[in-house]
Amino acid sequence: MVFITKLARVGVQAARQLRATPLPAVQGRSFHLTCLLAKERRYTVKHEWVEVEEGNKAVVGISSYAQEALGDVVFAQLPEPGTTLKQNDECGALESVKAASEVYSPVSGKVTEKNGQVEDSPALVNSSCYEKGWLFKVDLKNPKELDNLMTEEQYKSFLSSSTDH
Amino acid sequence: MSVLLRRNSSQLRLMLSSGGQVTRLSSSDGASTAEPPSAVKKPTQAKKPNTPPIVPDTDIKKSVFISQSSDVFTNLALEDWLYKNFDFSHHHVLLLWANDPCVVIGRHQNPFTEANVSRLVERGITLARRNSGGGAVYHDLGNLNCTFFAPRERYDRKYNLNIVTRALFREWAINAEINERDDIVVRNKKISGTAAKLGHPNCYHHCTILASANKLHLGESLAREPANYISRATASVPSPIRNLVDVNKSVNVAQLRSAVGYEYLRTAATALEDGGRTQMMKQRGFQLINPTEKWFPGIEELRANYSSWDWVIGKTPKFTVEKDLDVKGDDQGMKLKLSVEVEAGLMKEIGIQLPQSEQVVPVVTPLQGKPYNEENLNGIIGALKLVNASNVKQAMNGSV
Repeated sequence: MVFITKLARVGVQAARQLRATPLPAVQGRSFHLTCLLAKERRYTVKHEWVEVEEGNKAVVGISSYAQEALGDVVFAQLPEPGTTLKQNDECGALESVKAASEVYSPVSGKVTEKNGQVEDSPALVNSSCYEKGWLFKVDLKNPKELDNLMTEEQYKSFLSSSTDH
Repeated sequence: MSVLLRRNSSQLRLMLSSGGQVTRLSSSDGASTAEPPSAVKKPTQAKKPNTPPIVPDTDIKKSVFISQSSDVFTNLALEDWLYKNFDFSHHHVLLLWANDPCVVIGRHQNPFTEANVSRLVERGITLARRNSGGGAVYHDLGNLNCTFFAPRERYDRKYNLNIVTRALFREWAINAEINERDDIVVRNKKISGTAAKLGHPNCYHHCTILASANKLHLGESLAREPANYISRATASVPSPIRNLVDVNKSVNVAQLRSAVGYEYLRTAATALEDGGRTQMMKQRGFQLINPTEKWFPGIEELRANYSSWDWVIGKTPKFTVEKDLDVKGDDQGMKLKLSVEVEAGLMKEIGIQLPQSEQVVPVVTPLQGKPYNEENLNGIIGALKLVNASNVKQAMNGSV
């Protein structure tokens, strides 16, 4: 089931991007490859994720592990569009039952959008942390930073070995 | 920063040796020693390099810092300074502090829905915003604040709250319980409220303990001003409270400070195990802290930020105030709804609405863009009362 939705999502994304850039066949093929690579979500040790949407644009959120550890999120403080962030900068906070947790930017870049829906209903971070519960979008300044972040697989083994509660 | 840190820890060391309480300073000076000799780290696992090492309890020392200031902004700045600059990996710290009368709201709260802001000013009670989550609390010198600092991965609210309840039992045989909201209650009334800030690499959990606070001021300060507030800000959960002095007459803040401090020192670093006097002697003991710029370089700037309008009021999440008004008419009165949209503490949109209409007519006033407070709100209301109903109707029709 998970597999099917994942496939579907990749498909939708590919279709959207193809429509946006009708390229000749050869380029199209190489584009397809980058698209698959770009689809990959990368994680930090502080449990944020970042996913490249297209080109230099990326989305940031917190992992399922993090939202579960936090409990019910009641308030989301997100960075304003236009803010310039360096990797690991404090850029917002999520408040759950009596605890304010800092959000750190997994990448450097300029904030282009914050998720207003999450500001209005912070519970989205709990119910849909990888989809509707994203936090903000950035124009990546240095896409190479992503190489130093964990892949899905690495993050999973990190979680199983970590003592972080 | 590490230079500052080292400088500071050397000052602490000085202070320690003069305090005479405690022992062994060499092993765990966070800034100068890198890792414990026998860190139980498994090299086989694919860990990221910045994963914090696992430190056994025996390699963790503890200190109780007692702030010599009763100024809420200074104490919040001290707490923030330690959170930002201190290395807690081998040294856990409990900071004890008490403030002159003030109301402290949570990081994402609206002071106007949590406190009677104009009443506070009248009574000379300071309003402050802290950096942790949670709800609004009233402090005075009859209330003790405890901040438990630790590395993020050792954040443990239950452990900390148990230190407090054990201390109360050991010292005065008071039976206190920890409820599902992590409040400490005695016979179903709250004596302690909790909040936390979680970051990397550090975190803290702090709680209040009501020993002999002024309950009248507490109640009055935390009553909101009458108006309808529409806000996404974190709301407090009001609870009936109790002073410990009403449970046991001999409770006072000074004794509470030492009871909680000793309980902290005699307990193992992460496990709730009482080590008695032996354990206590292994710790660094009590240290009086003078939160000045000389000891904590940069603390003045932090204090300036905590006491600024931009932080206390300006950080208020966007909200709207609605108030029903009666306006004089030719034959009969008319009910209007005034709505004021406040962003970053400033009145952005001011409008009025007829009861049967969805339409909002903007009100033009020089108060637009000015800070929201009760006085300015009443200024707008006063001006509107002079308007008569037919003008309003005209204005409404004109703008359709």
